[in-house]
Parts: sequence; structure tokens; C-alpha cells
Amino acid sequence: MLGELLNPYYLQVLCFILINIMLALSIYVPLSSGQLSLGSAGFMGIGAYTSALLTIHYELPLYVTILVGALLAGVIGIIVGIPSLRLTGVYLAIATLGFGEVIRVLFVNWESLTKGSVGLTGIPQLGRELLKFAKSIGIEPSALGLKNNQFVYLSLVIVLLIIVLFILWFVIRQQNSRIGRAYSSIQMDEKAAESMGINITYYKVLAFAQGAFIAGLAGALFAHTIGYISPSDFSYHRAVEILIFTVFGGSEVIIGSVFGATILTLLPEVLRFVSDYRYIFYGIMLVILMAVRPQGILDLYLFYRLKGKRIKRGTS
Amino acid sequence: MVLEVKNITKRFGGITALKNISFTIQQGEIYGLIGPNGAGKTTMFNCITNIVEPTEGEIFFNGEKITKLKPYKITEKGICRTYQNIRLFPQMTALQNVMVGGHSRISAGVFRSVIRTKSQKQEEKLLKEKSEELLELVGLGQLKDQFAENLAYGQQRRLEIARALASNPTLLLLDEPAAGMNETETDNLFDLIKKIQSMGITVLIIEHDMSLVMRLCDRITVLNFGEKLAEGTPDEIQNNEAVIEAYLGKEEEETIA
Amino acid sequence: MLIEQLINGITLGSIYAIVALGFTLVFGVLGIINMAHGEIFMVGAFIGVLTTSVLGWPLWLAFLASIVVTSLLGYLLEIFSLRPLRGKKGVSHLAPLISTIGVSIFLENLSHHMFGAGNKPFRTAFAEIRFEIGSITIYLVQITIFVISVILMVGLSVWLSKTKAGKALRATAENLETASILGVDTKKIITLTVIIASGMGGIAGILVGMAFNSVSPQMGLSMGLKGLAIIILGGMGNVKGAMVGGLILGLSETLLVAYGDSGYRDAIAFIMIILILLIRPQGIFGSKTAEGR
Repeated sequence: MLGELLNPYYLQVLCFILINIMLALSIYVPLSSGQLSLGSAGFMGIGAYTSALLTIHYELPLYVTILVGALLAGVIGIIVGIPSLRLTGVYLAIATLGFGEVIRVLFVNWESLTKGSVGLTGIPQLGRELLKFAKSIGIEPSALGLKNNQFVYLSLVIVLLIIVLFILWFVIRQQNSRIGRAYSSIQMDEKAAESMGINITYYKVLAFAQGAFIAGLAGALFAHTIGYISPSDFSYHRAVEILIFTVFGGSEVIIGSVFGATILTLLPEVLRFVSDYRYIFYGIMLVILMAVRPQGILDLYLFYRLKGKRIKRGTS
Repeated sequence: MVLEVKNITKRFGGITALKNISFTIQQGEIYGLIGPNGAGKTTMFNCITNIVEPTEGEIFFNGEKITKLKPYKITEKGICRTYQNIRLFPQMTALQNVMVGGHSRISAGVFRSVIRTKSQKQEEKLLKEKSEELLELVGLGQLKDQFAENLAYGQQRRLEIARALASNPTLLLLDEPAAGMNETETDNLFDLIKKIQSMGITVLIIEHDMSLVMRLCDRITVLNFGEKLAEGTPDEIQNNEAVIEAYLGKEEEETIA
Repeated sequence: MLIEQLINGITLGSIYAIVALGFTLVFGVLGIINMAHGEIFMVGAFIGVLTTSVLGWPLWLAFLASIVVTSLLGYLLEIFSLRPLRGKKGVSHLAPLISTIGVSIFLENLSHHMFGAGNKPFRTAFAEIRFEIGSITIYLVQITIFVISVILMVGLSVWLSKTKAGKALRATAENLETASILGVDTKKIITLTVIIASGMGGIAGILVGMAFNSVSPQMGLSMGLKGLAIIILGGMGNVKGAMVGGLILGLSETLLVAYGDSGYRDAIAFIMIILILLIRPQGIFGSKTAEGR
């Protein structure tokens, strides 16, 4: 019986995996154009707060507020992305990390709007809204052999899965096109790319803003998944966590982000038996991984080999 | 007149890399730029493609002033180059490298690239076919799926030429294409450049291999310490007193046959 | 009182400067950001608490213990998380960043286990000694902190410019390959750099404990982020820049808390660096362009 297999706890973990995949992709996209942006936590916060406040104060439908949250993050991404063009490598990383911290401090202090460090509670949950909607058009969960609770989480997982698949579809298609070639050429040699007729300003800002949009979208969905948010959800720790998803899985290939986010979301759950020591293991694991396989678990060569093309990693 | 370089001066801090240089290149020519190391040849290339901005002077391409244009705009106008120290995209395949070169000749934006409209598919297909032809032209047809970083040195040089050709240039700038090549490879390069000329592309070439330059070029400008020493046909250059003294003197017998 | 606030600001700024020096040394020589530096600083502070409050050691011995332990940590950091990445093909600038983040997560959570999450009081009789000049109160600790930071700063500058090891270090910072061709034992120099930087982090830790009477496992993070901000402000890899940047940040934070909105205190550092990166990407004293390595 389907109903008995759907444990709400597992479904919730699945929701977080899907949201984390989006967050990992929000780092992957700018990185594929050579920009290491650690601002994802900040953009995530912008999306989350925007959507949450719009639903709480104006009772707008969720699909509108989530989209507005993501778009606002994207627009701010353009505004931050343009001056950031002057920065590369480590400087860009620290500046974007700083941007995230400024956003967080703003959330803490703008108490009239954000309720400060306590955060926002009572944010409408996407799953419950979907249940309401289903009932309004005459679909009863019991007719499908599901409890209300199960329906809430299951519908949420399905919606998130569709969004993740859409983003993946979008990014992969973009990657195998004129836009994607421009991104990778900028990543590998910016000057040579410009000599080949590529407007690097345009493409770098585009990649940066796309990352911000995806992070904002993930943030809005995060807010409507757990129902309460506070500034600490978008702190330095979140920024680092997102970066590690991408780097652990392998930042050269898109599947690395999916893999990294999935494994590292599951890992703390699996490591529950060592519960209190799990972050200590996590730290050790990162050090070992970088020493053994600094490009991440999955890389370009493995990717091509899986596609059946014979390419060897060169010595040059 | 394809290219007109007018009184270009470039100073880096206190050092004058180019001093009041002028020359013009006619349609269909192979034009040589020679001179000892440090003469300012690559700086001249950088000024033409505006990777470094000239301190003084102007450059016209097909009668249009290009001095202040961004490098990518200049490529769009029809000037493309190769680099002295090869600058390929190492972890892209040879084919992908060439297709990047065609960037400015196709137009799909994000929307069309993701939706894969009919016109986008068509232009991608044409670009791919053309890129494969260019790889055949430079003799890398078999290696199109290899990563650029795994190709041999001479192959990388030829790949760079193919990449530049993919941008449909009317003027191709080659920066020491024969460097590090053996005699057979150099002969093949000679044939390749002649073929490029026969395609109606004007070529400006920096090269140290004098025998290649003298066989290949229609006209030559000689630079020395940032100044223009002489200009003329290969015969005129080989018989120019100043050039022989300043530059060719010691190598005269071994390299100029 | 403005003067008291200025003194507080200079004290805070001096500590920031010492932390930033640790970052700047490692960045100058290796071109990497040591994300675990804040946590090494935190460990230094905890050693101070442990030795004085629990074991009842005198303060000078506590300093020594703290320096020894953090230097050792620096050595281990180099051996386990930096050296394996060096000179390896296909290692991006991301790798050392992630590797040191791994060390920082490890250290923060380890301290969390050993000492608990909350603040630990750091009381020494020394911290209570104070002078009254007119209406102004100055603590001896504040003077000590300032003096130690000036000594470290001057000592480091002299050491870098006058001694053989210091010159070797600067040569290594300039160009690793050339230095090694010229006969500099770069491996030794790099190890030495990380050890010195970490030891300075330890000193800063114990000073913070004394100045604010408390330490916690989380203190490494905010200090680490501020240290990063300061080296960008002062110019990456620049010793003078670290000192001046630290003082500017310390003073502006203290003045903001005294006369403005204390809630934004933690954002100042980053608003500053965002501004400086836009106006003068190489930092106040930096000369290189803001190219990533």
C-alpha cells in the first residue's frame, strides 16, 4: 500500500534535498562562468523574506509571491553583479560573502518589517495550500489512500521535484548552446574569450543574476516549506554549506551539484548514530576530500567517460 | 584598404613600446610584421584588437575608426587573432573551441538557446558543420573530440587558427604561428596561410622565421625598439641597409636564401 | 566620554590588527585565505581560560601555553590541509579554501564538545587593575594589548626586512619558484609562516579573553570574518595595511556602538570592504591589482 510507504519524515528530508540542489545550482551557474560567488545565502534570504512578507501582509497567492521573491533576488543580483565585475577569485568570494552578511544584519535590525532575530512565523506552507486547493477542486486525499499529512508532503515533494527538473533542464540546455560555450570560455580564459567576440560583461552579469534568481527561488520555497524563517537561516554557515555542496560533488559538471547536495543533505541524517560528532567528521571529510580529489567527486573526465568518449586526462 | 594604422604610440609608464607607427594593409594581402624581440610587434596586435589602448593615434578598419571599440566589438567587425603563447580553452574539445570562435556569427540568446527554436537549431547545425570543415582545413578533423590541453604543440597552434577563422574574419592576425614548429610543419603552415589568403582573407603575421616570412608576405614592416625601421616588399626589405644592420645583419647568411 | 571610547576602539582595533596579520602573512606567502584562522584564534582564547581559571597558572605561562598550542595547530594545518594541495595539477583556488573551511568546522565543533556552547568567563586579577586619570578610566589590560600589538607589528616588520629567514619569506612571497631556485627552502619557509601566523592568532585569542572576560566556540567565526575584511581594507598581504585596517575597524565599531545603532556593528566591516573594493580594489596600502590567484 502506497500510503504506508510515505513516511512524512522521509518526505521532508526529500524536500530539503531538492531545495539544496537548487542552492547548489545557484553557485554552479556563476562558477561555470568563472565567478566564485558566496552570496547565495543572502539572495536566498531576499527571496525567502520577500515571499513570506508578501503572503503574510497581502495574502497574495503563493505562486505569485515566490516568483516575485526570486525575481527581486535576480534584480539585486544584477545590481551587485555589475560592480563585482572588477573583482576576481578570492576577492569576489569575500565581497559576496560580505554582501550576504550585510543582508543578514539588515534582517536582524529592520525589526518593524522582519521581526528581527526572532524571525517570521506563520508563513503559509506550500503543502497545505496545495491540500486546500486539491480539496477545493474536489480531490480528497483519502480517495488516493493518503492521510492529509502525507498528501501535504507528497504534493510538496512533487512540486519541488518539478521545479528542480525544470531548472536542470534549463541549465543543461543553456550549457550546450552559444550561452554555455560563452560561460565556459570566460571561465577558462577571459581575455581569449573576449578576443573571440564574446561580450564578457554581459555574460558574467547574466550568470551572476541567474545564480541569484535560483537562490532567491530556493529561498522562497524554503520559507514556504518550513513555515518559519529567521536571519540565522541565511548566515555564513549557510553560505559555506551551499559552497560545499557544489565543490564536494564536483564543480566542473552540473551533476556534481546534484550529487553533492543529495549526499551531504543525507549524510547528517545517516550519521545520526554519531549524532553529536557528525560535524567533526564532516570537517575531517572535507580536508581528506580536498587532499585526495580537489576537483570534487565527479569531474569532467569522468563525465565524458560515462558518455562513452575516450578522453584521457593529460599531463600538460 | 582593409586596415589603416595611423600614428600609433603606446607608452607603458615611462617606456615607449610603440613610437608613432603607421602602415596600411590592402585587401587580400599577406602583410608581415617583423623585428627583434621587444620591438613592439605583439603590442601592435594588442592595440589593433584594443586589448591595450593606444596612448595616441588611430586605427581604421575598412574606413571605420575602431580605436575605442571593445575587443569583442572589434571581433564582430571582422578582425580575429591568435596568440604568441597559445591561449586555447584547455578543457574544451577541439570542436568546442572552434565553435566558441563562431560566437559572434550566430545570435541565439538565452530564450532561444533553451527553447531550441528552429532557427537556433539551424544556426547551431551550420556552425558545427563549418567548424568541422575548419578543423579539416587545419588538419585536425580526426581530433575534434579531444580536449585542447591534450593536443600536441603544433596541433594547438593550428587549432587556434581554426578558432580564429570561425569568427569569419576579413583580417586575420597571426602571432608567431610557426614558433616551435619543425620544417615539415612549417611547410604545411605555409600552405595553410596561402589557402586562407585564397579564401579572400587578409593576413597580418608576426613571425621570426625569416625564410617563411620572405616566401609568404606581399609586404613587410620592420619594427625596432618601437620604431618603424622600414616598409616594403620582401626584396626591398632584404636589401635595406638599415634593416640589415639593425636586425638581419648577423643572421643574413643563414636565414635569407 | 569620547576619550574612553577612543581607547576602547584602539584596544579592539589592536586585536583586530593582530588577527589580520595572521591572515595577511599566509596570504602574502601562499596566496590563499586561511579560513581556519578564526578558529585557531578561538582555541588560543580557550587555552587561556583553561590554564588560568582551571589550572591556576600565572598569566605569562598561559600566554606561552597558548602560543605553543596554536603554533602546533598551525603546523598540523599546514601538514594535513595545505601541503597535500600544493603543486598538484588541477587544484583550483577553491581547494585550499574548502580544505581550511573543513579545519574550521572541525575545530569549532571539537571545542563545542570539550567546552560547551556558552560563554566561558575569563577572570584574572590582572584584568581588574585600572587607572583613573581625571574622569577617564584606563585598564592595564588595554595598555598591555596595545603594547603587545605594537611590539608584534614592529617585530614582524623588522624580522621580515632584516633577518635572513624574513628575507627568505619575502622572496617566497614574491615568487615561489624563483625563491626555490635561489636556494630558499620554501617548504620550511611556508611551514614557518603558517606557524607564526597561527601563534599570533593564539596571542590575539588570549588578549580578547582578557579584554572582554569571556570566550566561546563561536567567537572564531565573527573574528575570522572581520580579519578577512581588514586585510581587504588594508591591502592583501600588507603588514602596515593590517594594522591600519584593524584600527579603523576597531574605532568605527566602537564609535558606532557608543553614538549610533549598535545593531549594525557586525555589518560595518563588510560595508567597508564592499565600498573599498569598489573604490580602490587593491586596498588602502595595496599596490597590486585585485587579481585572484
